[in-house]
Amino acid sequence: MKRLAAIAAALTAALAATACGSGQGAGAGAVYTTIDGSKQIDATAPINPFNPKGSTFVGYDVMALAWPKNDLMDPNAFYPGLARSWTATPDQGEVVVHLQPRARWSDGRPVTSQDVRASIGLAYTQGGTAYTVNAGAAGAAADIRVVDERTVAIRQGANRSNAFLRNVLSTVIVPAHVFGHLLPADFWTTLAQARGTGKAAEAAKAEITGLSQQVISFAPARDVSAGPFVLERVNPGAALLRRNEYFYDADKIAPDRVKVLNYTGNEQIWNYLVSGKLDSAPFTAVPAAVMARIKRTPGNEIRRGYSPVAASLAFNQSHAPYGDPRVRRALAYLIDRTQMTRIASPEAGTPAVTTSGVHADAARAWLGAGLDTLNPYPVDPAKASAELRAAGMVKKDGRWAMPDGSPWKLRINVPASFSDWVAAAKSITSQLNDHGIDASVVTSADYVLYLDELAQGKIDVGFWLMALGPSPYNIYQRLYGPANGWQLLAGRLRHAPPGQDGNWMGGPETIGGVNPGELTNRLNLATPEEQKRIVGTLARLTNEQLPVIQLYDYVNTQFVNSTRFTGWPPSGSEALRLPAGVWMQLGLIHERSP
Amino acid sequence: MTAATVLPGQPGTPGGGPAGVRRNFWRGVGRVLRRKPSRLAGVAILVMFALMAIFGPIVYPAVLPRDDDALYAPPSLAHPFGTDFEGTDVLALVVTGARYVILTGVVTAVITVALGTALGLVAGFHRGRWDAALMRLTDLQLTIPGLPLLLVLSTIWKFDGPLEMGLVLGLLGWGGIARAVRSQTLSLRERGFIEAARGLGLSTTHIVVRELLPSMAPYIAMNVLIAVTGAIYAQVGLFFLGVLPFESNNWGVMLNLAVFGGGALTSAAALPYLLAPLLAILLLTLGIVLVVDAMDEIFNPRLREE
Repeated sequence: MKRLAAIAAALTAALAATACGSGQGAGAGAVYTTIDGSKQIDATAPINPFNPKGSTFVGYDVMALAWPKNDLMDPNAFYPGLARSWTATPDQGEVVVHLQPRARWSDGRPVTSQDVRASIGLAYTQGGTAYTVNAGAAGAAADIRVVDERTVAIRQGANRSNAFLRNVLSTVIVPAHVFGHLLPADFWTTLAQARGTGKAAEAAKAEITGLSQQVISFAPARDVSAGPFVLERVNPGAALLRRNEYFYDADKIAPDRVKVLNYTGNEQIWNYLVSGKLDSAPFTAVPAAVMARIKRTPGNEIRRGYSPVAASLAFNQSHAPYGDPRVRRALAYLIDRTQMTRIASPEAGTPAVTTSGVHADAARAWLGAGLDTLNPYPVDPAKASAELRAAGMVKKDGRWAMPDGSPWKLRINVPASFSDWVAAAKSITSQLNDHGIDASVVTSADYVLYLDELAQGKIDVGFWLMALGPSPYNIYQRLYGPANGWQLLAGRLRHAPPGQDGNWMGGPETIGGVNPGELTNRLNLATPEEQKRIVGTLARLTNEQLPVIQLYDYVNTQFVNSTRFTGWPPSGSEALRLPAGVWMQLGLIHERSP
Repeated sequence: MTAATVLPGQPGTPGGGPAGVRRNFWRGVGRVLRRKPSRLAGVAILVMFALMAIFGPIVYPAVLPRDDDALYAPPSLAHPFGTDFEGTDVLALVVTGARYVILTGVVTAVITVALGTALGLVAGFHRGRWDAALMRLTDLQLTIPGLPLLLVLSTIWKFDGPLEMGLVLGLLGWGGIARAVRSQTLSLRERGFIEAARGLGLSTTHIVVRELLPSMAPYIAMNVLIAVTGAIYAQVGLFFLGVLPFESNNWGVMLNLAVFGGGALTSAAALPYLLAPLLAILLLTLGIVLVVDAMDEIFNPRLREE
C-alpha cells in the first residue's frame, strides 16, 4: 500500500512527502525527521531529480516553479515556489513566469531565466504533457523565451489545453551550470526540427528522446539546491539535508537539518510513528489498531484532508457478461460499500456516496444539487436480481449463471502488494457469494504486472484508481481515456477498438449519441462554465453506465508530531498534500518553545 | 513340531509368511512408538492434520460465516483464535486451509522422492554415461535458485491449485535426493547380495526394484516426510510474499494479511490472526520431526534400544 500511495501521488502530480524530527528537542541544531512518501532511499542513486530513485527530495532540495494547492476544482491554484508570480493569457496561450528576485543556488550563484530554460530543455528529454516533442500534442509548449534575467515566457502550441499553466508551474528547476552541459549545443534547433513532420523531424525527435537515459543517469558530484535545504550525505538508512543559507526565504525555515528516514514497507513507517520518531509523515495506509497506537504516542496528531483519488472496480466490457450495463448495475446494488470500506480502509477512505467518476468532495463542488439526483446504488438485492434477470442471467440452485446456463465465475483482480485493495476485494467477493455469485479474488504479483495484465485484456474485473483531480480532464480520462480506447495523437482524438492499443475497458464509443471520450477531451479546452456542464453530463452517464463502480474515496491522512515543531497545516488545508519542506517555505513550521 | 512346520515363510505360522512379517513389523512399530511418548504425540499430530485436511472443508460451509461487527475480535470461546479482518473465525480458516497446504506438501514430496530416487538409482546402478548424464542434469537442477524462479514463474502462472503448486515445488526439489540415492546405490551395488543377484542372472529391473530399493526404503520414507515440511515452508513463504493466488484460508496468505494488513507486528489486535497459522505450521513440523525420529529407529536396527 506504500507503493499505492506513491503511485496515486504520481498520478495526481501531487507531492506527498513530509518531514520530521529526531529524538532531540527543537532548538539550536534542531533536526526535522520525516520520510519521503514517493520513494525509498537508494544511497547509490545520483543526486538528480530526473532520476526516479534520485537522492533528492521534493520541497527540500528540489524546487518547482510553484506548488499546487489542494483545490477541489481549480487545477491552476498554486503557492509560489521559485516563481514569485506568474501571469497567463485567458486561453493560457502564453505563461510569463517571474522568478524570486533573491533566489540563489546553494553555491551562491543566482537562479536565472537560463536555469529555467535549461530545465525545460531537460524536461523535453523526459517527455511529458507540456514538454513533448510529439507534433500537435495538446498543451505542449511551443516556444521558451528569456525576457530578462528573472523572467521567462512560455508559449503554448496551437493545440491548446487549459492544463498548460499547471504543467508549466510544476516544472522542476535545476542549475544550468550543473545540468546544462547535458543538452547539446544545437538542442533548441533540434527541438524546432522535431516539431515538424517528415524524416528530419523523426530523427530530431529520436535525438531528443535519446538523451533521456543520459539525463537520468547523470550524477553530479554534490547537491546544488535552490530549495531550503541541500543534501549533506545519504546512506542506506537515511538522508541528511542541511539548511541552504542562500535560500530566498531562509528566515522562514525553522530546522537546521532534515533527516529523511528510509523504510522498506508500511510496517516500518508505523513503527516510526508509534515510537514518535517522525515529526510528520505523508499518507500511509494504517490499520485501525495501529492507528490507535499511533494516536497514543505523545505529540502525535492526525491531519485529514481532501485526496483527489478514489478506488473503483473496473470492468473489461468486451468480456461477457460485463459488457451489459445491467450486470454492472446489479453488482453495484450488491456491494455494501460502507462495510467494505470499514474492512479495507477504515482510516484513509470514505465509502463512495455513488459512482459519479469524481471524488465525493469535488463532486459536490462540480455538480451541486445534481449529485443528489444520481443513483446512489444502495444495497438492494431485489433490484440486483431484477437487473441480472433483465440481462438474461439465470439462477440455478441458488447460484447465478450465464444466460446459456454455464457457470458465472467472477474473478476480481488486485495487485498483491496493495493490502487495502486485497481486503476490499475479499470483502466484495464475500458479499457477492452471499447473494449467489461465485466470486473470488485473484492477485497479481506486483502493480506493474497488474497494469500489464489489464492492458493485455487478461482481466475481467479489477481495481482501478480514478477521480484523479483536480483537473476535470484528469478525472474523466481515467474512465474515458486511453484505457477505454480514446487516444489523442497529433492533436486528433481517435477511438481504438477493444483489445487494441491499450483499450482494455472496451466500452462503446458512443452511448445514446454521446461520445464520452470526446466530451472528456473537450474538458481540456472548455471554459469553467462549459466544464461544469460537461462534468454534469459525464457524471450522469457514468452513474447510469457504470464503466466502474466507485468504491471508496481516499482521505489524505497525514501524521504530525507537535513535540518538537508546531504550526502544522490544519485538517482540510490546501497545503496538506505538499511536502513539509513546502510548509516550511510557506512559513508554517516553527520550533516548539522549550 | 516338525521341521516342516517351523520353516519360516510358511503361512499360518507365527512370524512366518508375508502376513507374519507384516504383523511383526507393526508390532515393532508399536514398540518403537511406545518407547517415547513424544513419538505417539507426533503420530497424533499428523493424524489430526490429516483429518483436518480431509474433513475440514466438509465440516465448515463453503463460504465461511462472517461477523461484520467483530473485525479482528480477540480470542474467545466462540473464536479461540479471534477473527480476521472481515470477522471470519481464524480457527475455521486454519482448519479449512489445511487441505491446500498438506496436499501441496504431499504432492511435492511424492514428486521429489519419486523423481530423485528413480534418477539416483539409475545413475548409481548403471554408472558410466548414464551416471554422467543424469548427474549433470542433477547438478543443473541444483544450481537453479528455487525462490527467484518461483517468483518469476508466478508472474506468468497463477498456480490455481495445490497439484500445480506441488508439481512445481517437486520439480525444483529432487536434486538433493537424487544425489544421495546415487551415493547409496554406488555403495550397495558392490555388496554381496547384489553380486549374488547378478550371478544368478536376475534382470536389472529385478535387482534395482527388488534388491536395491527395499534397502533404501527407510531413507526414502524419511525423505518423504522431510520434503513435506520443505514444501510447506516454500509454499507458505510464497503466499506470504503475496506472489501466489489469493486464498483467504491459506496459511501464508493469513500471515501476509496479519502482518501487512492488520499490523500484527505493531499492535496486538491482529496477533492471534498471525499466531494461528504459525502455530499450525509449527505443530505440523513438530509432528513430522517426531515421526521421522520413530521411523529412524524402526528402520535402523542399530538404534533400537532393547
